[in-house]
Amino acid sequence: MKQVFSKWSLIILPLILYACTKVINVNLNDAAPQIVVEGIITNTPGPYQVQITKTVNFDASNSFPPVSGASVRITDNGGIIQDLLTETSPGIYTTHTIQGIPGHTYQLNITIGSQTYSATSTMPQPVTLDSISFQHTSRVNKIDINTVPNYQDPLNVKNYYSFTQYVNSRKIKNTNVFDDRLSDGRYINVALRTDSAYINIGDTVLLKMNCIEKATYDYFYTFAQVAGNNNFQSASPSNPISNISNNALGYFAAYTTQSRKAIAK
Amino acid sequence: MKRLLLFLLLITGLQIYAQDKHTISGTIKEKRSGEVLIGASVYILELPKSGTVSNAYGFYSITAPSGVYTLIVSFAGFKQDSVKLALNKNISLSVQLDQALQQMMEVTVSSKKRNANITQPVMGVQKLSVNEIKNVPVIFGEKDVLKTIQLLPGVKSAGEGSSGFYVRGGGADQNLILLDEATVYNASHLLGFFSAFNSDAIKDLTLYKGAMPAEYGGRLSSVVDIKMNDGNNQDYHANGGIGLIASRLNIEGPIVKDKGSFIVSGRRTYADLFLKLSRDSSIKNNSLYFYDFNVKANYKLNDNNRVYLSGYFGRDNLGFGGTFGIDYGNSTATARWNHVFNSRLFSNTSFIYSNYNYNIKINSGTNNILIKSKIEDVSLKQDFQYFVNNENKINFGFDVINHRISPGIVDASGTSSFNPTNLPVKYALENAAYFSHEISPVDKVKLNYGLRLSSFSILGPGDFNSYDSAGNTIQTRSYTSGTVVKSYINLEPRFSASYQLSENNSLKASYTRNVQNLHLLSNSASTNPTDLWIPSSPNVKPEIADQVSLGYYRNFHDNAYEFSAEIYTKTMQNQIDYKNGAQLRANANVESQLLFGKGRAYGLELFLKKKQGKLTGWISYTLSRTEKLINGINKNNWYAAKQDQTHNMAIVAIYQANKKWTFSSNFVYNTGNAVTFPSGKYQVNGQTAFYYTERNGYRMPAYHRLDFAATLQGKKRKKSEGSWTFSLYNAYGRENAYSIEFKDDPNDPAKTQAVQTALFRWVPSVTYNFKF
Repeated sequence: MKQVFSKWSLIILPLILYACTKVINVNLNDAAPQIVVEGIITNTPGPYQVQITKTVNFDASNSFPPVSGASVRITDNGGIIQDLLTETSPGIYTTHTIQGIPGHTYQLNITIGSQTYSATSTMPQPVTLDSISFQHTSRVNKIDINTVPNYQDPLNVKNYYSFTQYVNSRKIKNTNVFDDRLSDGRYINVALRTDSAYINIGDTVLLKMNCIEKATYDYFYTFAQVAGNNNFQSASPSNPISNISNNALGYFAAYTTQSRKAIAK
Repeated sequence: MKRLLLFLLLITGLQIYAQDKHTISGTIKEKRSGEVLIGASVYILELPKSGTVSNAYGFYSITAPSGVYTLIVSFAGFKQDSVKLALNKNISLSVQLDQALQQMMEVTVSSKKRNANITQPVMGVQKLSVNEIKNVPVIFGEKDVLKTIQLLPGVKSAGEGSSGFYVRGGGADQNLILLDEATVYNASHLLGFFSAFNSDAIKDLTLYKGAMPAEYGGRLSSVVDIKMNDGNNQDYHANGGIGLIASRLNIEGPIVKDKGSFIVSGRRTYADLFLKLSRDSSIKNNSLYFYDFNVKANYKLNDNNRVYLSGYFGRDNLGFGGTFGIDYGNSTATARWNHVFNSRLFSNTSFIYSNYNYNIKINSGTNNILIKSKIEDVSLKQDFQYFVNNENKINFGFDVINHRISPGIVDASGTSSFNPTNLPVKYALENAAYFSHEISPVDKVKLNYGLRLSSFSILGPGDFNSYDSAGNTIQTRSYTSGTVVKSYINLEPRFSASYQLSENNSLKASYTRNVQNLHLLSNSASTNPTDLWIPSSPNVKPEIADQVSLGYYRNFHDNAYEFSAEIYTKTMQNQIDYKNGAQLRANANVESQLLFGKGRAYGLELFLKKKQGKLTGWISYTLSRTEKLINGINKNNWYAAKQDQTHNMAIVAIYQANKKWTFSSNFVYNTGNAVTFPSGKYQVNGQTAFYYTERNGYRMPAYHRLDFAATLQGKKRKKSEGSWTFSLYNAYGRENAYSIEFKDDPNDPAKTQAVQTALFRWVPSVTYNFKF
C-alpha cells in the first residue's frame, strides 16, 4: 500500500522536470563497528544458520567482517530443547537438532566476549500460497512484469508475510513484506514490486512466501527504507526496529516458508 | 460574556470622554477601479501626531477637535491626495487615489507619514502587494505570492521550486494561510511547484512572523493573510496571460457603477497537452494539470453597509495511465457584511466555508480501490474595530469554527485484496474571543496589547483509544454524538510596543503566544496532497509557541530606504514526530504512531529595502537556529530540525530602465538543510543497508541560485496594452541538491555510492500578458 502511494510522485516528477543525477563524494563520519546478527529458524527441516558480522564504514568495500568465537544457542519453548550452534565457517553458526514448529517460541542467546545479545521469536501458523501469476504494467518505453502471489488471508488473525523471489535461480535483492491490516480475511493478489531487477517473459520465477510475526514484519518494513537498492528511502532514516537486545543490528526470526514456481508470461 | 460587558462599558466611557471631538471616516479607494486600498496612510497635516491606516476593507477613522484641516492620504505607488475640510461635526469622506506613473514616484513630495514602519507597534510583519511582486522573477514565469515571500527574512523555502515555506523555525503546517478569511489547507498545486493562488485575483498579502494581532489564531508560526481583488466598479476589463505552462484570464467590472463590482479569474495548466502528443501510450494516457477559479462580488447597500461574496475553487488532477489517479483541491467561500455603526465603530461579520479533499483511484489487476478524504470547516467570525481617538484603537470579536475531518474512506471492490474501510469522522469545535488595544500612553511610545482566549473541543461520536509506549491500545472509551470528549482552553497573550527614538528610527519589542489544534502528519520528504490533518485529542495535546522578539528600525533618505533588524527566540511545546516505520495511511490508530517533544528557534533577521527610484528591491539576511527534542528520537538529545539553515540570504533588484523595459534579478543563498546520512553499512538478507548514528547530523550542500527576468511593455493603446515577460531561472545552472541517496553501485556490487539529484537548471520561460 505504501509503495502504491509513494510511487506516483516519483513517476510524475520526471515528466515535467529536467532532473539530473550524479554520483558525488560525501564526507561521512566513521562509526565504531557494530554487531549485526541474522538468525532464522523455519518449519522446514534444519539445519538453520545464524550469521554474525560487523558494520564497516561507508566508503569501505562491501566485505563485512565475520565475528568468530561467539557462543550461540537457540532454545525452544522455555528451555525444553536447547541447541548450541557450531561455527561451521567464519561468523556462520549452524544448528544440530532443533526443528522449527509453528506456534513455538524460540530464544536466541549470543555471547561475544563479555557482551550478551538475545532475542525471541514465535513462529506463526502457515498460510497456503495457492499459486503465482504475473501482472503487466506499462511504463515509459517498457512493460514491467511483476509476480503476484495468490493466497487466502485467514479472517480475524493478524498475519504478516514476506516474499523472496528467484528469477532463473538468481535471488532478487529486494525486501517485500505485507501485512493484512487493511486486508484481513481477503483473497490477496497484490503484485510484488521490485526495485532493482526485472522479469522477462519466459523467465523461471520461484517465489518463497514466509509467514512472519509482527516483529519480523516491523524489522523488514523499516529495513527496506534504509536498504541500498531501495528507491523509496525514508526522509528521516533510522536503524530498523530490531528484536535483538543490547543495540545489535539485524534480526532473529522464526517463520514458516513455502514456495511456488512458474514461467513468467 | 462578562469580559464583553466590561468592554462595552469601557468603550462607552471612552466615548463620553471624547465627545468634544469630531471624527472623519470613510473608505479609501483606487480611482480607476474602485478597489479599496488596504493600509493607506491617513493623517491631518496640521496635527502631526494624528495618523492612521485604512483597514482590510479600506475603512479609516480619524478624530480631531473642531477646526479647519488638511487631510493627507497616501499609499505606495499612488499620487498623494489632500483634502481641505472644516471639522465641526462628524464627517463621512471617501477618498480616491490615482496610480502614480513611474516617473512621478521619484519626484513625489516626501510625506513623513510614510514612516509607519517606524512608528507602528507591529513587528515581524511583511506586506506585499501584487504590484510589488509582479516583476520578481519566479520559476515557469508564473508570478507567485508564496514564492516571493520566501525571499523575505525569516522565511525559508520548503525545497526547490516549492510554494511551501517555513517561518522562524516552524513547520510547513504551522502557517495559517487565509484567502479572504477562509483557511486554505493545501496552498499548493502540482506537488508544490505552484501555489494555489492566482496572482491576477489577489490584491495584497500580509505575512505575520511573530506578534500576530489577537484576531488571528490557530497556527504556531505565521499568518499569511491574502485578500482577493474586489473587481473594478467603474468599467469592464479583461486581462490575462499566456505562458508556457499555464494561461490565465481575469474579467471584472461593475455590477452597478460605484456601488458594486465582480471579478472572475481562472487559470489552467496545459503541460498534459504535450503528453498527448506522445506516441507512447504509457505517456499519452497520463494526466497532469490543475485549474483554479477565484470569484468575488461586492455591493454597497448604502454608506454604512457593504456586502462581499468570495469564492475559490482549485483542483489538481494527476493520473498515471489507467492504474493510478489522484485529484485534490480546496474550495472556499466567504460571505461578509461590513457595517459602520458610527464614524468610529466598524464591524465585519463573516460566514466562511472551507473544504479540502482528495480522491485516489488505484486499478492494479483485480485490486480496484478508491480512497476519499476530506476536511471541512464552517465558521462564523465577528470583528469590531473601535477607533476611540487617535491614540486609542480597540479591536475585539470572536470566531466559531466547526471542523469535520473525514480521514479516509477506502472503497474496494469484492475482488480487491483490500477491505472497504471507513475511518471514523472526527468532529471538533474551535472557538475564540479576543480583544486588543492600541494605545499611545506617552509621546513616542505605542503599545498594542491583547488577549485571545481559545478553546478547542473534540466532540463525539467516536471511540477514543489510549495507548502504551509500544503503541498497543490499553483502553477504549466510546462517546455518543455531540458529547465533549476533551476540551483544551488556552489564553494567548499578544503584546508589542514601539519606542520612537527619532523621526526615522525606533525600537520595538513583542511577546506572542500561539496555540495550534490541527496538526498535519507527513513523513514524506516533501509535503504531499495526501498528508493527514488530525485534531488535538486526549493523546495529542495542543501545540503551543511562545515568541519574544526585539527590533531596531531605521529609514534613510527621506524614507526611500527602510532598514530593520529583528532578533527572536521561540519555544514550542507538544511538537509532533513519528515513530520509526510509522503507519500514517488509513490507520484508525494513527495517534499510536506519534512521538512528542519540543522545539526551540532563535535568530537574527536583517532587511534593507529600497522603495523608490528606478532601482528598487531588497536584501534580506537571516542567521538562525532551529532545534527539536523528541522523546524517542536521537537518543532524546536536541538535534537540528530539517529546516535549520544557519545562513539564508536573498537579494532582489528591479530596474525600470525606461517606459518599455524593466529588468529584474534575484540571488538566493542558504546553508543546506540538516539531513540524516549514514555513518556505516552492513549486510542483511543479501542486501546492503546503511547504519545511522544520529538524526540530522549532516548538511545538504549549500543552495544558491541566480534568476533574471525582463519585461517588455508594449505600446499603451487607448483600450488595450500587452507585455512580454522573459525569465531565466537558475541562470548559471547550479546543480542544487534536491536529494542525496545512498545506494548500491550498479556497476560494482562491492561498492556503495552517494547519488545526488538536482532539479531545474536553466529554466527559461516566456509569458505574454494582455489587458483590455
